[in-house]
Parts: sequence; C-alpha cells; structure tokens
Amino acid sequence: MNFKNRFVVKVVGESGQGVNSIGEVLAKALKDNGLFIFGYREYPSLIKGGDASYQIDINNQEIKSSSAQCDVLMCLVRSSFKKYLTSVRKNGSIIHSVVKLTLTPEEEFFVKENKINIEFIPAKDIAIELGGKRIMSNTIMLGAIWQIFGLEIRKMEDNIKEIFSKKPDVIEINLKCLNAGFNYDLSKLQRPKLEIRQTENFKDDLLMSGNHAISLGAIAAGVRVFYAYPMTPSSSILSYLSSVYHETGMIVKQIEDEISVANMAIGSMHMGARTMIATSGGGFDLMTEAVSLTGITETPFVCVIAQRPGPGTGLPTWTSASDLNLAIYSGHGEYTKCVIAAHDIASCYTVTQQAFNIAEKYQIPVIILTEKQIAESIFQVDKMPQDIPIERHILEGEELKNITSLDRYKNTESGVSPRWLPGSCDAVFDANSDEHLSDGSLTEDAFPAKEIYQKRIRKEEYLLKDLPEPEVFGSQDPDISFVGWGSVKNTMLDVMDILNERGKKKIAYLHYEYVYPLKIGVFQNFAKNAKKLVLIENNATGQLGNLITSKTGVLFKNRLMKFDGRPFFLEDIIEYIESEE
Amino acid sequence: MSCITCNSTTTPTMKDFQSKNIFTWCTNCGNYGIHTAIRRALVSKKISACNTLTCFDIGCNGNGSDKIGGYNFHGLHGRSIPLAVGAEMANRKITVIAFGGDGGTLGEGIGHLVHAVRGNYNITFVLHNNLNYGLTKGQASVTTKKNMKMNSSPDGTNSELLHPARFVLSLESTFVARSFSGDVKHMSKVFEQALDHKGFSFVEILQSCPTYNKETPHEWYMDRVYDVETIDGYDNSNRELALKTAQDQEERIAIGVLYQDKKSVPQIDRQLNRNGAMGTKIETEPYEETRQYDISKLLEKFR
Repeated sequence: MNFKNRFVVKVVGESGQGVNSIGEVLAKALKDNGLFIFGYREYPSLIKGGDASYQIDINNQEIKSSSAQCDVLMCLVRSSFKKYLTSVRKNGSIIHSVVKLTLTPEEEFFVKENKINIEFIPAKDIAIELGGKRIMSNTIMLGAIWQIFGLEIRKMEDNIKEIFSKKPDVIEINLKCLNAGFNYDLSKLQRPKLEIRQTENFKDDLLMSGNHAISLGAIAAGVRVFYAYPMTPSSSILSYLSSVYHETGMIVKQIEDEISVANMAIGSMHMGARTMIATSGGGFDLMTEAVSLTGITETPFVCVIAQRPGPGTGLPTWTSASDLNLAIYSGHGEYTKCVIAAHDIASCYTVTQQAFNIAEKYQIPVIILTEKQIAESIFQVDKMPQDIPIERHILEGEELKNITSLDRYKNTESGVSPRWLPGSCDAVFDANSDEHLSDGSLTEDAFPAKEIYQKRIRKEEYLLKDLPEPEVFGSQDPDISFVGWGSVKNTMLDVMDILNERGKKKIAYLHYEYVYPLKIGVFQNFAKNAKKLVLIENNATGQLGNLITSKTGVLFKNRLMKFDGRPFFLEDIIEYIESEE
Repeated sequence: MSCITCNSTTTPTMKDFQSKNIFTWCTNCGNYGIHTAIRRALVSKKISACNTLTCFDIGCNGNGSDKIGGYNFHGLHGRSIPLAVGAEMANRKITVIAFGGDGGTLGEGIGHLVHAVRGNYNITFVLHNNLNYGLTKGQASVTTKKNMKMNSSPDGTNSELLHPARFVLSLESTFVARSFSGDVKHMSKVFEQALDHKGFSFVEILQSCPTYNKETPHEWYMDRVYDVETIDGYDNSNRELALKTAQDQEERIAIGVLYQDKKSVPQIDRQLNRNGAMGTKIETEPYEETRQYDISKLLEKFR
C-alpha cells in the first residue's frame, strides 16, 4: 500500500551493530530539514546478535504511526536481509553492505515479483580504504541513504560534527565516510518526492519517546523521588531521570525489587514527597499488594506500567495493551483507583501531571498505562503542552489549627478526608493497613468497618465526575465507528488523514484516555449513532470492550484485535476498513 | 528537637507517646517492654511525638501500631523496612523507626533487610525475635530452634535456623545491637544509641512469647545474657570480634552494641546530586520541594 506524502526508510541489522544510532541520526537530520518523522524500533531481548530495526516514517505533516512496509530498506547483515525482505514495498529499494550476497530462489522470486531494486555498497572496504575503521561503514551507509532524499549534505555533516564533538579526532574521517556514501552511484534507485515545510521553526521541533515525555511530566509536576527496578519497556524513564538528576536534584534510585519500590513509594508519598515509580506488567504484579495497602491507608500513589506482551516473560521487547485488567483489578479488596492510558507525547506529559493531582486529591492509587509502542517510539512535536497547575490538597499552617487525630479518616460526603503530613503538630494518626476508625486505630466492629469501607468506595463517584469523557474524532455520520485506547489512537488518526483523501468510507473513532472509572455518557451516544461499532485493541480479549459492556450492556460483535507483539500499522486498519462491505 | 511545623520546643514526655487504645497482647508478652523502652528512648533523646514515624510489620508487634503515640504506619507483612526507608528518603527531619517480627523480616521480607543494610538508610530497625509466628498461632519461623515441635511442624522443624545478629554482621552493616525484652532499662539504652547512629541501626530483641514459646521465657534469657560492655576491652568497631561474640545463643548470650561503624555515612548523604559533592547542595527535604518545575532547559537536548 502506498500512502501519499509518506516515505518509509527502515534500517536493519544485528542488534549491537549500530542500527539504533543510524536511525537516531537520520531521524534528527530529517527533522532539521523540515520533515515530520515517526521512529519505530524493533529489537530482540539480547545485547548482541539477533535482528534489530529502526523504521522512520516520513511525512510533510505530523504522524504518529508506522506503515507495515518500507520504501527503502537499508540492510547491514545477511540474516536481517532474509527477515526484512518482505517488508519492502512493491517497486521499493534495498541498499545493503552484505559482501557476496546471494539470494535464495524464494528471495529471488520475491524481488522480481515486486520489482525491487537492490544496490550493494562495499562500505567496509571503502571505510578502510579511506583510512577509517570497519565501524565507520555505518557512516558510509548513512551518507548513502541521505543521498536518496536529495537533501543537502552540509546539514548531515553538521549533525556528524555534533555527535562526535567529544571525539574531535574522528570527525574528519567520519565526514570523509559520509561523503563517500553520499556520492556513491545509486542513481537507479527510486527517489521520494518530499514536501518540505516552509515554516521557520522546524529546527526547534522535539524528538522524544513517550518515556521521555512521562519523565518530563514528572519533573514539571514536582516529582522529587523516583524509584524503579529496571524492566523493559519502562527502563528508559529510570535512565533518563538519572541522566538529568544533577540538573533536577531529584532522588532517582534503582531499588532491589518491585516490592520494595512500591513500598518505598508509599513511605515517601506518605511523608509528602511526590514520588513516581515505573515498571512493566510483571513488575507490577509484584507491587499489587502494596497498591492494595494504598487503598486502605488512603496514600496517594502513582505508578507507570509500560505494557509489553505477557503472560510470563512474554515478548519482552515488543508491544501490547493487555494489562488494562491488571491495572483496574490490581490488589485485593475493594477501593477506589484511577487508571489512565497515555498515547503520545502530549498525552504522556499531561496525564503524568494529572495523575499526581488526582492521586493527592482523592488519596488513591493512580496507574498510568503506556505501551512499548508509546514508551520507546520516537515522536516529533513542535512543543510541549501547557503545564497542569499542581494541586496537592495537603493541609498546612493555619488550616491545621482545629484538626484532631480523628479528622484523618473522617467520614465525609465525598469520601475524601483531610490529609496532612507527619511532622505536623499534635494531630498524629496511624496509617493502618488493618481496618480502622477515623484516627487509624484498629477496629473489627461491624458498623465502623462498614462505614469507612463505604467512604473509600464513595470516592469513585466524585472522581468519576471529575474525569473527562472520552473524545470522539472523525465523521459525524460514520460508516464505521471504532472504539479504542492507547497507541491505537495514533494509528487511527493517521489512517483517518489518509482515508479522508481517498474519500471512500466515513470513519469515527472514540478514544478512552481516562479509562477507569469508566465514563459512559459520550460512549452511549456514540454507540447509539453507530452503523457499525468496532472494538479495536492491542490485545486478544478486548479488555476495554468488556469493561464497557459490563457498564453499559453494549456488546461489541465486531472486533479488530492485534496481539502478536506488533502495534497497529496503517495497513492493518485500512485493510480492515476497505474489506468491509 | 523542635517541631518542624510550629517550632515549639516543649520537652516531650512519656505521656506524649501513650495511646488511648488498650493493649491486646498476652500477659507477659515481650512487646510491652519493647514499647516502654522505645518510648523512654525517644523521650530521653527529646524527640517529640509529632516528629516520629513508627512503621510496623503485620504480626503481634504490628498490633501495637495504634498503641504508641506519634505518627504510625502499619504496613504490609514483611515490608516495614522499605516503607520506613521511603519515609526517611522523603523527610530526614522525622525520626523513623521500623519494627518487624522474625517471621516477616527474615522470612517474607529478608531481601529488604539485606538491601537496607547495603544502602545504610538512616532508620532504626527493631527485630522482635520471639522464635515463632505468634499471631497465626505458633508456626515455626526462620529463628525457631531445629527439631522444635510447632504448629504445622508436628515432628519438629527440619531446616537450619538463621542467626539474625550474625547474618546482619556478615553484611557491611554499620550498627548491630542486641537486647532482651525482659530488661526495659537495657533496651532503652540500646535504642538510644541506635537512634543516635547515622545509618541503618539493627537492633535484635530476644523476645519472650509466653504462649507459643515456653522454652525461652524471660527467666531463661535472664540467666544467660551479659552486656558486651562488661567484657574487658571489648572493641565494638571490630566486626570479626562482634561475629565471634554474637555466636553463642544458647549458653552465654551477648547483648548491647555488638558492632558500630562510627564513620558511617547514611544513604541520603551519599546522594551526589544533592549533597553538594558535585554542585549545589540541596538544603531542603524532598517533601518540601514540590512545585512547578520549568523543563525548558531540559528540552534543548531533544532538539
């Protein structure tokens, strides 16, 4: 499938060969030249060996998703050639540096059938001839791919100088290699028609991952403590926050296990320091007892779950949205909690700030869900969204004057009781994991036990009123009405842009960002007006759909589910829509 | 120490650490003495109730969480250490004490103990070692003597027991002490030293359990314990000596401060991005630092 204005380059090679570095340099250079990119990474769960890829979708307007197929495949190793050959579009091209590449009969057939142009560049030989090292073949390949875009070499040269600014002695040789690749004869290959933006400020555009946006959101929200145990795909939050902790002064600490992480977060939050933690599904499994503890002690708590496919270790470096149930139903007992699903940079940045306000206002656990597709993909944005004002709802100074110990878990209409920090005068209390009276003193009596239980559950009604409804995009009079959450939105909106131009079917999409507790008003209207209602989720069982059904009685007979570790590509949705009667 | 919110400097009294709630422990339970000793130590160190956070395990000791004044947090079974450590990281102006039983601490939560020692977080940890799981009615714990017949092990336990003080001494601990629940005065003295120590203070209390551990009541301990201070020339900065001295748990049982590293640097002072070692020293505590932060400088790296 070809999409107007979209050109796709995919760099593939062995994990550890520099695929990621080439991808990053290329993405930045394209951005600096006035294009919009979206970077999607695939890599195996090992340090060296195995096939890795960095795919860059390029457009003249903002995009947030990937195509299943590429126009140019740049291949650094034989095994990747085999693996990724079929991802090349009809009439597409392959540039490779695999010495003495011979094709199998099947590969030969595929190449002929799809009229794919293949060009070999003896990159290692050239690098050595120029007096460089074998690793500099990557720079030659980078020059070669740059040639295809027909953009000025000078701009790529500037990037190379910047990258190697700390190793000035290798700048010159890398520039030589870059130019050798740039001038290598690739005239047979197809060139994209790129529409360059005419605005001035595109150099100020930002390239970042969802994990970066969550980290920045946390910094902006006044998070002062971050604990984590490394787990893909959440780990880059830990590495980013620690890389800037001299600037921020934040306590960023890797802890021995997720159980400690969660309990330490409760301790820090209890004392009043905004504390964030992040993990993936398996790590969160270990935290769930602590989540339940926050339920009864009414301690604010914010945890990010960057989802990947399970069960068990699953596909550790791939994507999924199958832990919604885990988040919603985590922890034993019944209590109010909030689950928010982010999807892009603005969303990650904003919901992280909102999560802390909600957690502190309602004294509940808030879980932010992302997916590997969001956490680790590279998005381009022109700016960060407006900050959300901090709301803490912590009593201090004069407000504490008439407070007594019995106010801490006082029964109120909204279920939310006054909160103050240890260290405040006199009105001491027990944050008790045993059922308790309003000062935290243990009780096993039926009446007070029931009363405080209801108080905690009652918070959900008020929280629900506070949360935004899901948002509807696309046609007012749709032929197909999709309902989804998470990264699905990114692909869906890109699909709508493409289909609007083709003008065939009218599509609408309802997106849940604030998933739990579930708002149903806007959905009910949407479902009522739907000619064809389709549930779309990056899981097998339709976890959001089942939740909606349980609250509204609306059944989802049509489901577009994907659960092979890959995100929804444009083709997945377009083919579904176009195959419909 | 003055109150951090009102700056009042009233001298704390034992009454400040009392609670209106009635104790629910068995008669002669070692917990009574431990609570009294902790209160005495806090008062003697002039630490006010509102500047204290006590973190409790689930178990008989945990049922004391609402029976002592000050701020309390009754957490999860085996997790009082990370809870207390998290609190200390957020606000070191508050004195944080964690309590745990031998079951929760050395069974379910033993990893937390190891890493809290490694991190040398500035809290006092009190191990209530009564050699069994009391609250669930007398099952064997990690410290139950071998071959002892217990609820759920009718023929006696067949696993080797763990020696808490030696275990902690074998790690790079900075403060290891032992006392026994029949001697409030001794416990108070040890707790005071633990509160003074900068770093992770491990205090094992050999605790009586009159209901499920008939073998080692207070009298049994009374006949056997002696303070290391009574040993001529005992050097408690010598880890090897401490390990040797702590060894005997049957005949002559050493109590007191077995080991202390006086040069101990607590975790929070090891944070190079905050302690001034590599730039500005941050004088505030994390709990008072929450405000809107401007990220625009950080965005430069994403351009």
